Amino acid sequence: MQFNDQLDFVRQHIKKNKLRVFMTILAATMGTAFLIVLASVGFGIHDTMRKEILDNRVVNEIEVYSDQMDESMAEKLKKRDHVKAVVYRQSMNLDSKTALDGFTGSPPLIITDFKEEEKVGFALKEGRLPESSNEVVVGSHFAELLVKEGENPEEPVSYKEKLIGKQFTYQMGFYEEKELFPEETKFTIVGIAKEPAKDWLQDVNFYADATILPSLNQIYQAHNEDEESQLFYGNVKVYADKLENVTRVSTALKDEGFSVYSIADQLEQMDVFFLAFKAGLVFVGTIAILIASIGIFNTMTMAVTERTREIGVMKAIGASPKLIQRLFLMESAWIGILGTVIAVILSYGISFIANMVLPIIVSAALSEEDLGGVDVTFSIIPWQLVLIASAISITVAMISGWRPARKATKIDVIQALRQEL
Amino acid sequence: MIEVRELYHSFKIGKKGKEKEVPVLKGLNFAIQKGEIVSIVGRSGSGKSTLLHILAGFLTPDRGTIMVDGTMTTSFTESERAAFRLATYGFIFQNFQLMPGLTAFENVELPLKLSGVDRVSRKEKVKELLALVGLTDVQHHYPNELSGGQQQRVSIARALITDPPIIFADEPTGSLDSETEQDILLLIQSLNRARGITFVIITHDDTVAETANRIYRMHDGELKEGGVTHAI
Repeated sequence: MQFNDQLDFVRQHIKKNKLRVFMTILAATMGTAFLIVLASVGFGIHDTMRKEILDNRVVNEIEVYSDQMDESMAEKLKKRDHVKAVVYRQSMNLDSKTALDGFTGSPPLIITDFKEEEKVGFALKEGRLPESSNEVVVGSHFAELLVKEGENPEEPVSYKEKLIGKQFTYQMGFYEEKELFPEETKFTIVGIAKEPAKDWLQDVNFYADATILPSLNQIYQAHNEDEESQLFYGNVKVYADKLENVTRVSTALKDEGFSVYSIADQLEQMDVFFLAFKAGLVFVGTIAILIASIGIFNTMTMAVTERTREIGVMKAIGASPKLIQRLFLMESAWIGILGTVIAVILSYGISFIANMVLPIIVSAALSEEDLGGVDVTFSIIPWQLVLIASAISITVAMISGWRPARKATKIDVIQALRQEL
Repeated sequence: MIEVRELYHSFKIGKKGKEKEVPVLKGLNFAIQKGEIVSIVGRSGSGKSTLLHILAGFLTPDRGTIMVDGTMTTSFTESERAAFRLATYGFIFQNFQLMPGLTAFENVELPLKLSGVDRVSRKEKVKELLALVGLTDVQHHYPNELSGGQQQRVSIARALITDPPIIFADEPTGSLDSETEQDILLLIQSLNRARGITFVIITHDDTVAETANRIYRMHDGELKEGGVTHAI
């Protein structure tokens, strides 16, 4: 029998029992849609969390801690395999005061290597990078930290003028002492750093090159009595050349006794957790499909019982048992396929509505406008989920149809032909 | 054409464990020649229907062999039997056994579909046969819209559609009035003459049996040749 004729045959039989087949397809649709929507929540939450982690951090970044960290060690790290850049940022352990045109504030000073910073995306909004020890780049929100008293003493005014080319003074001092050191260091602003990727992050730092260190140290040592205390403390970030090398670099550093933390470790742990979580959701969803399969089994069993005489006639005139079995399996597969197709379309609709409506409901319930700035995706249906759900649904449909189909092949021709119409 | 040797068959009746074996066919030996119309006549319970079911491959005999054109059909698997039936046999049943959901055209077309014949060739062949049995006008009618005689003609057209060399007819006129019965029997005879098809007719009716060239009488599981006839 040609495939088209087999399809015709199946279609004719389905037409005869429209309502029953419709109800069975509905059950299969509901089961499959339940599985897809349920698992899509797992995919949605996973994606939201990944985005949250990745948005705030550079993926190939590895934070390295060591008691002996200094510039020479940072230099050594640069020479390792698969390392694109090593950013060694140093900050001060002191109180400070910055003054510009009568505006004052305490923006933190960060000593860094601009060449390395540039390699990992440090970019300027305006101006250029420092070329001498007293030139600095200021953070995008630097000016907001410089304030002076306005007309209303309770509402200080922040600096609004142009920054490039301006000179400001910088004083250091101990936190525990009232007065700062009298020595003033003059810095000239030559560049303004680009805003951080996240709207809610503010960069109020100002960045200077390591060549300023000796003069600052000199001031510090002049007032410091404790010879062992250090003016600066360092923070090293190693950047792997590729994402896939992050684990390799981070493992090698760990083996050498460094304390290491990378986003890849966090992502890996999270991915494992969500893999198990999503598998659990798919399992629960599969139970719904199994329940729907009882309907398919019933429909197909009734179809075989009702068509006993017809099957008998077909066998009598020469239909092979394999063909009979295939026709019934095709019928149950058709129910599964149609149920799956409708379920996939329905699930995308539900997912779209959920992503549109749920954030509104949740933020209303939490009395927050934007869920704390987090871009939450409640449901995502990737093609892999569609594939898994379709495979489960169609397989379950065919398994439910298998027994009735076998029963059909076992029908005794003589008994079947004796049946009345 | 058909050669039956030492054919035995029995049925088990009664409850499981206390079954009783009832012999139905007791060592039948006979042969049917190509192009013959052979009637197997007997009362109810004589075993004639069981014989037909075994000849057609619906039932496997306890013992004995059936050779059809040199092919031993008794050793076939179920799938082989089905394929052999489709290619070699046609069937005419007492209660027509048409598919109620298919039109006269589709019922006749069914064996060709099973054989995998393409749509265009099928259409041509079905039209030709419906014309032969005089049903062109009602080809799109469903079985319940046809008279008994018309239904049996559909059944005959369906039996002929694959050009089988052998047609088994089980009480072919059992559900028809005497006038229609004559029409059907004449149709069988003309098909036999025109196409050389071998007909094996199972009946309890002597009038029907006389259509045959040869009559076998079945009594209590045994078969006896009951004479040669030429026409009604």
